[in-house]
Amino acid sequence: MHTTIDGLDALILNRIQGDFPISEDPYEDIGRALGVSGEEVLRRVRRFVEGGVVRKVGPFFDARKMRYLSTLCALAVPEEKLESVAALISSYPEVTHNYLRAGTPNLWFTIIAESKEAIQKIIGEIEEKSAQGPVRELPAKKMFKVKVDLKVGE
Amino acid sequence: MEKRDIELVRALQNEEIFLTERPFHEAARLLGWTVEEVLGRVRCLKEAGVIRRFGAALTPRNAGFKSNSMIVWDVEDLRAEEAGSLMSEHPRVSHCYIRPRFEGFPFNIYTMVHGSSPEDLARIVDELAQLASSSSYRALHSLREFKKSSPVYYPKALEPENV
Repeated sequence: MHTTIDGLDALILNRIQGDFPISEDPYEDIGRALGVSGEEVLRRVRRFVEGGVVRKVGPFFDARKMRYLSTLCALAVPEEKLESVAALISSYPEVTHNYLRAGTPNLWFTIIAESKEAIQKIIGEIEEKSAQGPVRELPAKKMFKVKVDLKVGE
Repeated sequence: MEKRDIELVRALQNEEIFLTERPFHEAARLLGWTVEEVLGRVRCLKEAGVIRRFGAALTPRNAGFKSNSMIVWDVEDLRAEEAGSLMSEHPRVSHCYIRPRFEGFPFNIYTMVHGSSPEDLARIVDELAQLASSSSYRALHSLREFKKSSPVYYPKALEPENV
């Protein structure tokens, strides 16, 4: 959906990306800092979500500290099998991202689960049901901390 | 994780509550806790890094970032840590990982990069190539999104007490 972002929108977006107040009245607090009412901030945030500018507001957990494991996987799938294999992979709730990308392998997806065994079970099932050969498992050896802060309206 | 924290994590995964005037009051109501208990525990989890970030996730494409790509880099193993650390500080990099190479795919650093236009993306990739001291990379543009969701931690149905 196309949404026009004005100056106040950009200020709100840049403020709430990394630093949503953990307080009784977070929207009032943001509004006070920006010189508008809390209702105005909330109204705009709801509009961002409805318009698809914001995917989610809330906590982002560190999977490892929650004792969850995640991995990136890659699989080469021929064009004619793409729909069915992608649908099979997406059907797992543990699969959170699934993209067709340029090059080979072309299907890239992430699995997040409570144990190595749970991840292996899903990969095994995908290999068996899709019959496209082995899934490449590419767990992060190192994850760099990024400050997600896409400055809006630059 | 302790049982109370698991309950809190479950309550906080109700995304609708963050679109109400007083989200933590809503969470307290769901949990039957006081709002002070909720705020206190959320701050602890953030302090401990269990909550790595509290806030909004943008859909880059809809927030003015029209050119996004997963760029993978081939950087000498001995230099990979340094290169990854430098690239992760670039403001247009939202994810940065070292991953294993595999046959026919010599790339070991994965970055998600966000540009406002193809030209802007190309400029950022040039900057990253300098930071990484590597010109060996591949842009794995996404051609189609089949799924993009937030993980669900501790789904209720899987907990033994509910079986």
